[in-house]
Amino acid sequence: MATPVQMPQPGNTVEECLLVEWAVPEGKPVTKGQVVCTIETDKATFEVESPADGTLVRQFVSAGEVAPVLTTIGAVGEPGEDVSDLAPTSAAPSQPAGRKAAKEPKKEMREEPRAESPAPQDPQSAASAQRADGRRAVSPRARKLAARLGVDPTGLQGSGPQGRVVSDDVQAAAGRLTPLARAEQAATGRTAQAPSGLGGRARARDLVEAAPQEAPPEEIPLTQIRARIAERMRASLAQHAQLTLHGSADATALLALRRRFKEARSADEEAPNVTLNAMICAAAVWTLPAFPELNATFDPEAEKLVRYSQVHLGVAVDTDRGLMVPVVRNAHAMRLSELTGAIAQTAAEARSGAIDPDRLYGGTFTITNLGALGVERFTPVLNSPQVSILGVCAIEERPVPDGAGGVRFQPALGLSLTIDHQVVDGAPAARFLQALAQSIGTFDFALAQQAV
Amino acid sequence: MYDLIIIGGGPAGYVAAEQAGGLGKKALLVERDPHLGGVCLNTGCIPTKTMLHCATLYANASEGDAFGVHAEELRFDYAAVRKHVDKTVDRLRKGVRALMRQNKVDVKVGDARITGRGKIRVNDETYEGEHLLVCTGSRPYLPPIDGLKNNDRVLTNADILALDEMPDRLAIIGAGIIGCEFACLYACAGKEVVVVEMLDHVGGDTEPELAKVMQKELHKRGVTFHLQATVNEVDGATIKFQDKKGKERTFEADAVLVATGRSANTEGFGLEDLGVDAHDGRIQVDDRARTNVPGAYAAGDVTGRQPFAHFAYRQGTVAVQHMFGQDAICREDAVPAVIYTDPELASVGLTEAEAREQGREVKTAKFPLTNNGRYLAETRGQRGLAKAVVGAQHGELLGMHIVAPHASEMIATAAVMIETELRAPDIRELIFPHPTISEALRDVLHGV
Repeated sequence: MATPVQMPQPGNTVEECLLVEWAVPEGKPVTKGQVVCTIETDKATFEVESPADGTLVRQFVSAGEVAPVLTTIGAVGEPGEDVSDLAPTSAAPSQPAGRKAAKEPKKEMREEPRAESPAPQDPQSAASAQRADGRRAVSPRARKLAARLGVDPTGLQGSGPQGRVVSDDVQAAAGRLTPLARAEQAATGRTAQAPSGLGGRARARDLVEAAPQEAPPEEIPLTQIRARIAERMRASLAQHAQLTLHGSADATALLALRRRFKEARSADEEAPNVTLNAMICAAAVWTLPAFPELNATFDPEAEKLVRYSQVHLGVAVDTDRGLMVPVVRNAHAMRLSELTGAIAQTAAEARSGAIDPDRLYGGTFTITNLGALGVERFTPVLNSPQVSILGVCAIEERPVPDGAGGVRFQPALGLSLTIDHQVVDGAPAARFLQALAQSIGTFDFALAQQAV
Repeated sequence: MYDLIIIGGGPAGYVAAEQAGGLGKKALLVERDPHLGGVCLNTGCIPTKTMLHCATLYANASEGDAFGVHAEELRFDYAAVRKHVDKTVDRLRKGVRALMRQNKVDVKVGDARITGRGKIRVNDETYEGEHLLVCTGSRPYLPPIDGLKNNDRVLTNADILALDEMPDRLAIIGAGIIGCEFACLYACAGKEVVVVEMLDHVGGDTEPELAKVMQKELHKRGVTFHLQATVNEVDGATIKFQDKKGKERTFEADAVLVATGRSANTEGFGLEDLGVDAHDGRIQVDDRARTNVPGAYAAGDVTGRQPFAHFAYRQGTVAVQHMFGQDAICREDAVPAVIYTDPELASVGLTEAEAREQGREVKTAKFPLTNNGRYLAETRGQRGLAKAVVGAQHGELLGMHIVAPHASEMIATAAVMIETELRAPDIRELIFPHPTISEALRDVLHGV
C-alpha cells in the first residue's frame, strides 16, 4: 500500500500552495525524511519530506501547479505500484484558481497546432499562472485583501511565481489610488494613468477608459519558401539594374474574343477556357522571338549574357505558400489552346504543391498578372537571371478621340515591363512593348497569323 | 548667470526663493520694498489677523459674565496693539531675511524691469537668469466712485493699518473677506461701523447659510450692513449710497475703507515685451505655474487664481519644482479660505452652488454646532454651523464649510480629506479628539 505525500498547511489561513519543484524525479527511490519537493505560499517556501521509504511512484501535481492544502500531491510505494486510488480528485469543492490554471493551458496547447511551445506534457509550459481566461492567478490571501480594499486583483501585475498576484501586489495597487478613485475604478473598470494627486496618488479624475485588450504583435517564423523568396528578391534587386516601362494596349479585341470563347464554352463544356491572361501570354511569347534581347539571362558576376531562341515562359502564381514561378517550356511554339492548357495545369500544380521542383527553373521570360486585383501599374522585380519581366495590369476605360471631335472610351490594358538595364536598353525594350501592344490590340489578327 | 530670477518678495516669491536654494540653485530675488514678505506680512494677513486677535480678546473679555469673568475697567489700547503688531511683523520680516540668507538667495531692493528673455535690469544693473518667476502680487482695486481718488480720508488696507489712532466711525465699501474682517476689528474695538455691499450677501463666495450666520454675529457686535446697496459718491469721509430699496442714504464717517477687491500687478515692468499672456488683467498660467513663454513662470496673486498667501506658497513651490525637473502639480481642489471674524468662517472645496454649476450630483448636510460639546461649553448664544457637500454616488467630500471659533484651524483637516478624496465612510473611520469642535467635521456627515 503506497503512502501519500500530502501538501502541508503552513499556516491557519493558507488555503493552497504552489509546488515550486520536485527534488526527486518520478520513479526514483526516496528515504523517509528526505526532501521530495519545495512548496511556496505568498510569504515563504517550505520543504516537504517523504513520509516513508520507497520509490516516488507518482507526482500527482507538477512543478508550477497550485494545489489545495492537505491534499495528496504524490505517492511513495513500490516501483510500478498502481497508486491511482491515491490520486487527488480534480473537482475539489473550493476550486482554487491555481488548480484550474494547471489544467487548462495544457488543453489549449493541444488545440492549437501553431503554438510555438513544445510538447504539452512539458510541465514548464503548463506552469504559467495564466488562467484559461487569460488573467493572472491570484493567491487567496491577495483575493481577500483585494475585496477588503476594493481593488480588482485580476488586472494587476503579479510579483509571485509565474506572475501570480500576491497580497503585496494588491497592497501596492491600493496605495496608489485615493479611496474615491478605487471606488470609481470598481464601479467603472477604468484604470489610472498619470496620477495627479497628493503623494503621487491617482485621483478619480485620473482614471481613463482601459485600453482595449491589445493583441500583442505576432512573430511569424519564416517558412522555407518565404525565406527563399526573400533571398531571391533581394538578390535580384542587388544584381540587376532594374527599370520599368509602362505602356498600354487596346484590349477591345481581347475582350471580344474572350466573350466568344466563353459563349463557346457555355455551349460546349469541352471547349477550351481561354482566359485573358492566356491570350496576353500568347501575344507576348509570339512577339518575343523578334526581340531576342529580351529573351535572355544575364549573370553579372560572370558577365555572361545568354540569349535563347525558345521562350520558356515563367508564369507567376500566387499560392498559399507564397509566390511561385513555374515554367511552361517552349511556350512560343504553342497554339493558343495548348498554351492555355499548359498555363492552367502548371498553375494548378504550383498551388497544390505538387509541382515538380525542376519546373521552377529554366525560364527565359516571365509574366506576372495583377490585373484582376485592380493594379493599374507596377514595377515587377526581375526573375533573376532573366533580363525582362512583363507585369500585366488592370483594364481601364480610357477616353480617346473618336475622330468626330468627341471622345469615346477604349478599354486599355496596362503593361509594365521591367528590364535589366545592364544589358537591355530602354529603346529596344520600348520597341518590344510597342510591338506587344500592337499584337494585343490586333489579337484576332495575331491569332489568324498563328493559324496560317 | 542665475538659475532663477524672482520678481517680487511676497509669499510666492520668497517661498520660491527658499525652495530654489534648497535645491542648490542660485536665485536672485528682487523686491521694490525694503522689507520682504509682500502684502501678507507687511500690510495684509499678519497685521490684520494680529489686530483681530487683540480686538476679539477685548470683545470676549467684555462678554465674559456668563463664564464667570467680570471685567471692569477694560480698555482697548490701540497704541499697545500697534506695538504688538509691529513687533510680530518685525520678527517675521527678520525670519524671511534669515531664510534668504540660509538659502543663499541674492536679494536686491529695487524695481525690476524685464529687458529680454532671461534678462532684467534693477537699479541700472543687468542680471541674467535661466528661469524667470513673476510674483508681483496685487494692489487694492479702486472702483470708479466719485470722490474716491485723491481723498486722504479714503484708505486701503495698508493705510488703515498705518493709522496711529482708530477712527471712531468707519465706513467700509465692500463686504468681502477684507471688509468683514475690518468690520469685525473695529466693531470689537467698540467703534461704529457701516458696511455697504453691492451683492445680496457678505463674505464673497461662501455658503449663503454660513455667511448669514457670520453677518448676524457681526451685527450683534454692532456692525450695520447695507446689502444690495451702491456707493455713488464719497465726500471727504462721508459716503452717499443707495440702499436696496432705492433710497438715498448717507453716513458720515471719520474714514472710509475701500475693500472692493484687488487687481493683479501685470503692468509697468516689461512683461508685455516678453510676450507673456496677461489678458484679463492677470498672468495666465497652467497648473504647473507656467506662462505661455518657455522659462517664464508666475505665482501668487498676479496669476489671479486663488487670492491667498497659502496658495501663493504652493504655486511658487510648484513653479520652482517644475523648472528644475520635478513635475509638480498645483492642485486647486482644496484651497482653504478663511475669514478671521469672530466667529471665523472657513471654507474648503466647493459650495453647493458651485458643485451644481459644475453639473455634479451632490448631497449636502448641515450640523448646528450647538450639538457639539465643546462648542456648547465655550459659547453663549453664538450661532455656529457646519455644512458638507459630498458626491451623491460615492460620498466623497467635495466641500466643507464651518462658521465657528477655531474654524481656521479645523479647515486644514477638511482640506486633507478633499485632497485624498476620502469618502464619508472613510472619514467616519477617523478618530477625532473629544471634546473638540473638529468633531463636527465627522458629525456633519451623518446627515448624508
